[in-house]
Amino acid sequence: MDGGLAFPALVAARFLLALAPSPAVLKHDQLLSSPLTSFSRLQEGIFLFENGIDPYSGGSFRHSPLLLSLFSTVLPLTRLTASLLWTASDAIGAWALIHIWRSRQNVKSSPRDGLLAAFYLFNPYIFLPTLALSTSTFENTLYLLSLLFACQGRSSASLLTLALLVQLSLPSVLILFPVVLLLVSDCVSRLASPRPFAADIRKTLPLLAEFAAYSLLLTIASTLACGNWSWVEKTWGAPLLLPDLTPNPGLWWYFFTEMFDHFRPFFLMVFSVHLLIYVLPICIKFQHDMLYASFLLLGVFATFKAYPTLSDPGLFLSMTSLFPEIFPYLRHPIVTALLHLHASLLLPLFNHLWLTQGTGNANFFYASTLVFGMANGAALLDAVWAGLRIAVGELKDGYEVVQE
Amino acid sequence: MHLVYLVLILCFNLSRILALESREQFDEELTLRPLRDGKLGARFLFTTLLKGATPRRPEALLTMTIHYTLFPLALGQVLREYAVTELHLTLNAGNWNYGQWGYPDEPGVGTGAELWAWMGDGAPITIDERWQGLRNALAGLFCASLGSLDEQRTTSPSLTFQPEGSLPDWTTAHQLRHATLPSEHVCTENLTPFLKLLPCKSLSGIARLLNPHKLFDADWHGLGVHVRYREGAGVEVRLAFQAVFDPVRYSHDKRRDWSLHSVFDRSIDKACPVARSSKVRVGLPKDRYMISPDPSVIDDRFATYLVGAAGEALDVAMQWPEEPAFQYLLASGAEPLTDISVRRTLKGSSQSQAQMALVITNNLPVQVQASYLETMPWLLQFYLHTLRAYVDGVSRDDLVSIISYSPPVPHSRPTLLQAILTLPPNNTLQLTMDVTKTFLRYTEHPPDAQRGWDLPPAVIIPFSFGELLSQNHSMPAAAGPALETRPRRIYTPVMLVDLATPDFSMPYNVIIMSCTLIALIFGSVFNLLTRKFVVVLVDEPASKVSPIESATCG
Repeated sequence: MDGGLAFPALVAARFLLALAPSPAVLKHDQLLSSPLTSFSRLQEGIFLFENGIDPYSGGSFRHSPLLLSLFSTVLPLTRLTASLLWTASDAIGAWALIHIWRSRQNVKSSPRDGLLAAFYLFNPYIFLPTLALSTSTFENTLYLLSLLFACQGRSSASLLTLALLVQLSLPSVLILFPVVLLLVSDCVSRLASPRPFAADIRKTLPLLAEFAAYSLLLTIASTLACGNWSWVEKTWGAPLLLPDLTPNPGLWWYFFTEMFDHFRPFFLMVFSVHLLIYVLPICIKFQHDMLYASFLLLGVFATFKAYPTLSDPGLFLSMTSLFPEIFPYLRHPIVTALLHLHASLLLPLFNHLWLTQGTGNANFFYASTLVFGMANGAALLDAVWAGLRIAVGELKDGYEVVQE
Repeated sequence: MHLVYLVLILCFNLSRILALESREQFDEELTLRPLRDGKLGARFLFTTLLKGATPRRPEALLTMTIHYTLFPLALGQVLREYAVTELHLTLNAGNWNYGQWGYPDEPGVGTGAELWAWMGDGAPITIDERWQGLRNALAGLFCASLGSLDEQRTTSPSLTFQPEGSLPDWTTAHQLRHATLPSEHVCTENLTPFLKLLPCKSLSGIARLLNPHKLFDADWHGLGVHVRYREGAGVEVRLAFQAVFDPVRYSHDKRRDWSLHSVFDRSIDKACPVARSSKVRVGLPKDRYMISPDPSVIDDRFATYLVGAAGEALDVAMQWPEEPAFQYLLASGAEPLTDISVRRTLKGSSQSQAQMALVITNNLPVQVQASYLETMPWLLQFYLHTLRAYVDGVSRDDLVSIISYSPPVPHSRPTLLQAILTLPPNNTLQLTMDVTKTFLRYTEHPPDAQRGWDLPPAVIIPFSFGELLSQNHSMPAAAGPALETRPRRIYTPVMLVDLATPDFSMPYNVIIMSCTLIALIFGSVFNLLTRKFVVVLVDEPASKVSPIESATCG
């Protein structure tokens, strides 16, 4: 396939798909958009904002004030502009993915470009949320852009996109650590030849300060845009306090629906800290390849974050195409693939049976989120195993790798 | 000397009591209206006026002792304690059928409990704290779950619930608090404390007819407590009981003839001695009827009896001798009795999304403006940007203007939506709006969660009528006499929303299973990250482990 033509062709196909009439049921699908990313809630917030009512005074609008001011001033949201904008965001994401690959391989172009773009643009976990106009599409694009700029060593651009991303979704601040380390090192693949972290760790301090400055600036901008500080609790507080228990493919909602009231704060703390706890070990273990560490952390977030949608695991799965060297070493690829297939069939089916058909109950959907959690966990474990296993290299017959 | 002194004191006290007694006056009235669907509407009204009194200023201290003879003391203490200027409490069961019964004599007919109060600001204790104290005190007084009317139900829709009396001219402003609890029911345990507030209890006067066995068998019944301040007159308490009976159901031969005895199983045997006036008014139907005994006063709309005038038990009876059996009107042939008719529904079978539809028909040949109020608990959240108005299938968004909207906050505050609707003459306006249903914690669901949640009624008030009205357009016939001059509230029936329920038996299972999955992944990841990779020879059985290569960096 010619890499030069494949990308425009794929993007064009996606635009056609976006303009084709999509069923309205997608917009309210709980798998594709969470309360933090739902398009209907974004429209409601913009409507209230334009009519002089503070959208953050209520509990349903939880988008960032940046999105609010963007869509209420610069870009009026209609069905058409929204479809085009969301698809363009995906196209930028695919473009970033291709360029991350190029800088990782240190080449100007590669025959894999078309494949990478296809793997991103036509991953159903990526394009279905885009058709549902979930703002998680923008989060994915910003993730990829931030990683791309970090790979290219453009620290300001990378930190600014990351600061923007943190405005949209607070848990992504955890990716800051590997991104900063990636900025002071490089993104060339060293999975097969691990070595201690080469660069000077003290060089990260000015980068962290720069990130803090951008974040502060954007926070002030958000506060000015909405007029008060109430947005902080509504947007950033939501993933920590879980005020909205709308079902999603993650593990939090049913756990906290069924949680005893006096244990709720404790378990909220445990679940939030649990996300945090992966950052350092993964960064230390994969200090030779920070891009891989960021990739693994995205897998952790996709499994364990508070309000995931399908596009979070979608990003993780699409990013596996950046690391073809690990494919021979995946531990149980068939099992993982079947688990994902199983979950992707069960999730919409049981959601429909419970909420629309009324013939199933909440446990059906909960069970399918457990399967989905298993599938994401298995994919994560495969990636961790393969990333470490690759360093051992090819084995002679009769030998096998185990852990001590 | 001592004796003279004693007599003087006695005289003084007696004169004070007499003076106090004349400061309070008590009137009672029973209004009975045969309705066109064969039912009988009854409204008991007990009015006590405390002449010259003013509501307590919120900042004033509670020093003066109070002495009431007729005014209900239990209620008076509550009013003084929380410095309430105006108070309305209604407890109703059933849906008021505006189409067949017309406007009610007492406007507050929303299903369930409704409490609203105007209170002055400026006290060291805030209005919200006094509101909380008030509803708890009333909950105790009336044995109703009014304590549940908490901040999750409380709004301040001051456009719709204007004070019925006057507000004292204090320097500080008055504020409204309003809450509804549509699932609250009314029954004997609420009627008993209600009767205790009456000076004659249910021993004499028209209150004698308040027989719980019959009242709570009625198709619709509700009690109301209304306190208002009338400038220049004093503080007035109106205790009202309203019911709609079905004489056709009681009779053996499907006739709608009724008498006090057949409806209430009692008659009025003696008048309440402290009542200044005690009347029974009977609305006169348009067709041929017979009424007995002969009324004291009769005009073209009402026959009035003065209780105790005849000196014997009063048992009013009305008969339609030419009618062998009551013929029900066909619903389609009946002309509506109200200016506008309202229907509100929740569409859609999904437990996460729905569409709310409001259909308002203007029955007048003139354009009507009406205010529209929704006080929705946060269980149902509006997508206001999807609000659309249609007339004859044509989009007419210009007919709706939103006056105020406060979005709901989960677990704390309800939605308040106040809008002005313009209703074209003799036409139907349809409003639709997408709503989303929330998902609750398992502890927030009520017992029998699958039944769903009652949502409070919407309130519509037609307030501005077009030009034709002045040119002698006849108002619908059943207009109630009580509040003819003021805009009349129309309550929609309550809605039932079914929210998705979790499995209530699952808390431990969910905690165990979710934690197992998390621990499994966490443990596996850290197992991979922390243990060294070694290469072993597996072909030779029971061979030694040969760490050829150890390829880790951690």
